Amino acid sequence: MTASSRRFPLSRRRLLTAAASLGAGVIAAPYVARAEEPVLNVTGWGGKWGEVMKAEIGPAFESEFKCKLKTDTALPFLPKLQASSRSAPIYDVLHTNSNEQWAAVEMGLVEPKVDPKLVPNIADVYPYAVSDKIVGVSIFTSAIGLGMRTDKGYGSVTSWKDYWDAKFNGARGGYVIPANSLGQAFVMMCGTLFGKGQTDLDAAYAALEKLKPIKLVDFTGAMEKLILSGEAGIGILHDSGIYRYDGQNQPIDFVTPSEGVLSLEQVLSITPGSKVKELGNAYINYMLRPDVQKRLAEAVWYSPANKKVKLDAKYDAKLLTTPEKVGKLIQVDWKWYNAQKDEIDSRVNRIFRA
Amino acid sequence: MAAGSAPRINSLALLILPSALLFALFFILPIGLMAVMSVLTGNPVVMPNVAFTTKHYARMGNDSYYLEVIWTTIRIGLWTTLAALLIGYPLAHWMARIKSRTGHALLLMAVLAPMLTGIVVRTFAWMTLLSDKGVINQILTSLGLITRPPQLMYNETGIIIGLVHIYVPFMVLTLTGVIGRIDERLEQAAENLGASPWRAFIEVTLPLSLPGILAGSLLVFALAISAYVTPILLGGFQIMTLPILIYQQISANFNVGFAAALGMVLLVISLSLVIAYNHVLGLVSGQRELR
Repeated sequence: MTASSRRFPLSRRRLLTAAASLGAGVIAAPYVARAEEPVLNVTGWGGKWGEVMKAEIGPAFESEFKCKLKTDTALPFLPKLQASSRSAPIYDVLHTNSNEQWAAVEMGLVEPKVDPKLVPNIADVYPYAVSDKIVGVSIFTSAIGLGMRTDKGYGSVTSWKDYWDAKFNGARGGYVIPANSLGQAFVMMCGTLFGKGQTDLDAAYAALEKLKPIKLVDFTGAMEKLILSGEAGIGILHDSGIYRYDGQNQPIDFVTPSEGVLSLEQVLSITPGSKVKELGNAYINYMLRPDVQKRLAEAVWYSPANKKVKLDAKYDAKLLTTPEKVGKLIQVDWKWYNAQKDEIDSRVNRIFRA
Repeated sequence: MAAGSAPRINSLALLILPSALLFALFFILPIGLMAVMSVLTGNPVVMPNVAFTTKHYARMGNDSYYLEVIWTTIRIGLWTTLAALLIGYPLAHWMARIKSRTGHALLLMAVLAPMLTGIVVRTFAWMTLLSDKGVINQILTSLGLITRPPQLMYNETGIIIGLVHIYVPFMVLTLTGVIGRIDERLEQAAENLGASPWRAFIEVTLPLSLPGILAGSLLVFALAISAYVTPILLGGFQIMTLPILIYQQISANFNVGFAAALGMVLLVISLSLVIAYNHVLGLVSGQRELR
């Protein structure tokens, strides 16, 4: 027995204490190491978007900016932000569609605009991405038009008005308007098609009434399944909801109506109480980088907001990648819509009840 | 001595403390907060200048749509309860009276087996069966029995079918306990006195099982009117019930105050039923009402 082992005899208690301390140290080490790293809380989508963000885009951002990116993909985001403290909001960057961004800015939950000086890549975006119809900045857009089956012998569909054709009765897919931004944008399209413009609600209600019988869903993913399963022959859908099945030999296609397509923007904004605004702006700038935009656009078939993005030919042919194509986008007045939302919801709930 | 006259706390009473705290924290506090939110213009924790208001309740009263939603919710609850009772009572009676231990175990497993699967999964299974292109319509069409598929879901009927399937076990388990405690000799005595088995059942077993019928019906009704997943999926978003409207107000309209007021209405409906249940139970059992 050595002198040192006599001084510190290895008892069972000591061994267990040492093992416990070592175990606790191993478990705590990553947290201790990251304690100094700032955390950026953002919202985001699941599915393919979430996969790419988690596997590639997010880790690259964390590595470059020496931070931790925490993404909440569990909808609904706005009620959670609404319930959190204004001075310590649950999110630093809010990613939603445009309608919710307008609701958030009305409640003082997000800042109305992103400062181009702090987000230099804004200089390269199409005008729609920072127009007066946008809170924050739009990083991507989709075109809302008509998704339809090609194997049912419906014939050619070229106009929004074809959606009302009696041949689609019982095979027409629509949205729960109070809960879905595509449905809400479509209400304003109805006003444009059959009345004096986006704000002609009487004309819109009369048009919606004529859509019955109709099958309603709450999310675009459910609409995709409705069309893929043949439960619906036609439905309001964004282009990426059809294009993402490219190469899978599905009998579906996207129709760009002659009257134009509605814009479904993916918008980022900063919360006023965020403690890491600098990092939040860096995240928005990062998401607008051409390489990040290209990767995500080609993964989920979203049209990039950055003009400098060069997509592969397959994507470039279908997505909105030129000023001419982007010019077809119709942006809606969400501020006006949200002000009427209670009235509209009450009315459309009545119209579509069985 | 003063100390000698002080009330002594039963140490066993302390055992109720954890459950009392749990009850206060997760039941009384949230409901109290909901009641407060329903009469405020906003959330006082995060918003300045919040005031008292009755506008959320006035909105319900001023628009018949909300009254229709309340009635739809109650109607679905009533039909579900009735159907669950009609299906559940014979099954519960059989389970309570079966002599074979194995037979009882098998019946119990049959009742409990569906509960091992989540409500969402079971509802999706019903959608697979009932949709326009579902199993039932496909079979009927391929056999040439129908040319146009009847609408089996996207209506109240579809919702009730789904809810009954989910809540029948609650009815059966509640009834089995009560029917099992009824002394069989009472029925035998009635039959010995000349009553037919049917009349013995109607005049002896059925009245004695009334507490179970009431308790099971109360449970199923309360669960049915607060159901969310099944009505939204099998109703195809075209049947509006209170829970769907409450969720819509929070998630899409961000109107927590109105959602809280709707929640209070749902609570009042349930409480009214519990009070009525106590009253009726007191009357049928000839005992005092619980106060």
